[in-house]
Amino acid sequence: MGLIDLTFLVLSAIAIVSGWRVFATDSMVRASFLLLLSFTAVGLIILMLAAPYIGIATIFMMAVEMMVMALFMVMFMMNPAGLNPMMMVHQNRFAIGAGIVAFLGLSAAVLTTDFPTDPVDPGRQVIRDLGLEMLGPSMLIFETAGVTLLAAMVGAVVLSARTGRFGPSDEGSRPPGLEVGGEPAGRRVEKASGHGHHHMHDSHVGDEDAQHAEGNPEADGHNADGGESGRRPSLRSDWSAGNRSMTSKTEATS
Amino acid sequence: MTQVLAIMVLPLFLLAGIVAAAVLDRAVPPLVAGRSLKASFVGPITVASSRAMGQTGATEHPDTISWILAPILYFTLAAIGLSVVPFAPGVVAADLDAGIVLWGACESLTVVAVFLHGWSANSPLPLIGAYRYVAIGLPAMLLSMFVLIAAALPAQSLAVTDIVEAQRSVWNIVRQPAGFVLFLMLGLSLSLRGPFDFADPYDLAGGTTAEISGAARLTWWLARLAMLVSVSAMTATVFLGGYLGPVLPGFVWLVVKTGLVLVVLVGAGEVFARLPPDRMMNLIWLALLPLSFLMLVAVGVELLLWG
Repeated sequence: MGLIDLTFLVLSAIAIVSGWRVFATDSMVRASFLLLLSFTAVGLIILMLAAPYIGIATIFMMAVEMMVMALFMVMFMMNPAGLNPMMMVHQNRFAIGAGIVAFLGLSAAVLTTDFPTDPVDPGRQVIRDLGLEMLGPSMLIFETAGVTLLAAMVGAVVLSARTGRFGPSDEGSRPPGLEVGGEPAGRRVEKASGHGHHHMHDSHVGDEDAQHAEGNPEADGHNADGGESGRRPSLRSDWSAGNRSMTSKTEATS
Repeated sequence: MTQVLAIMVLPLFLLAGIVAAAVLDRAVPPLVAGRSLKASFVGPITVASSRAMGQTGATEHPDTISWILAPILYFTLAAIGLSVVPFAPGVVAADLDAGIVLWGACESLTVVAVFLHGWSANSPLPLIGAYRYVAIGLPAMLLSMFVLIAAALPAQSLAVTDIVEAQRSVWNIVRQPAGFVLFLMLGLSLSLRGPFDFADPYDLAGGTTAEISGAARLTWWLARLAMLVSVSAMTATVFLGGYLGPVLPGFVWLVVKTGLVLVVLVGAGEVFARLPPDRMMNLIWLALLPLSFLMLVAVGVELLLWG
């Protein structure tokens, strides 16, 4: 067993073990970067197969991709910073079944395929050949894939931008109704019972808080309670502020 | 044989660069203010030794492995990035056909290293620093790719040695002056410096470094300086003709040019103010990225018509 075989075995072990740890860890960020480690080992194996551009580009792309993935997963999931432990697997039975089938299928493919032994001539300009292939006979495939990915990127930006589908994203958005033109889905926030007067006027959220603290003698009397009751209506007014701006927006457009 | 020589020169180059960068960091403010430079030479040693002996802090439930590995990864990436830089004709540690792509991989993994450094502390300020850095560092890295492709176009090769040889007639700084400035910005971003220091800024109490002290802080500081040296050498190689130059030997020219870029980067980090992250993000995506496209198109058209 030469040095090259040893390097291959070590890299394969890293790829497999870190790939397994992706599903055994309890954090999204850790899972992303373990996957990055796995892909890096695979990229180095590709490098050993005399495909330097594809090998290094795999590491390069996966680093960016896993970074973006970790960022967006933490952003969209209710898991601050991704450090909280959470269950990372679901549909266990189906996954185990699919895993066994995939393993058997790939093993059968590896064992029955007659792999060619055709070492690349070290003097050959593989990157030049790859470039000519990509921008020659295979150009249609790559351009199609490129335009498709671009469309997906534009779509993602349109859906997640501040001026997105559900109105300005930082002003509180409402989910779409269950029927066409129906009431918004999700939990309804009950109207404030004791502090109804706050919703009579159209003032800013912060102003409402200040007026509440002034106008409520109880709040002035008891410090701890005052803080609590001063905060509770502000949550409601957040919602109503969001609703208000939504209605004004629909009015403006219609 | 020359490869072995290059591998031996690389750590010395990096070490000398780190010392020079540390001294420059201290020398530039008094230089701007017209004060004595005497303290600049001893200052870094004093700080480094006091940090090496200081206590290393800890937070509650950090991701210890990532926290320890992040500075090491950062430093290693600086060294790997430097390995594609030819020190003299034929003297290069990693003479890869895809050298520019390897440098790009180092850039993108740097963002990962800085993010992990902030994230693994399990503390608010380092985490905010880490997120801000990803938001600014990724697009900054993205536009550097177009700049590098425009530098590789005249050479018709992704190998850094070919890019240097292609500059015998005209340096890339003349071909794409805006690309040079964009690459300097990337240098500030990669070494977390001045206007692009969104990872470790003062307004976040040091950002990703808010929770580290002692030897951990020293390691991070050294890694940042190493990346600054690495990116300076790369800028000198890709835009200023690397080892090319009259009379003097190639290695001396590379050292002179790297030193020049180092001074410019340290000075820029000192002189220019930092934009708020959201405005910086708009600037990068809406102005600088299209500018890098334009540079690429301009170089392509130039080569097509007169190349």
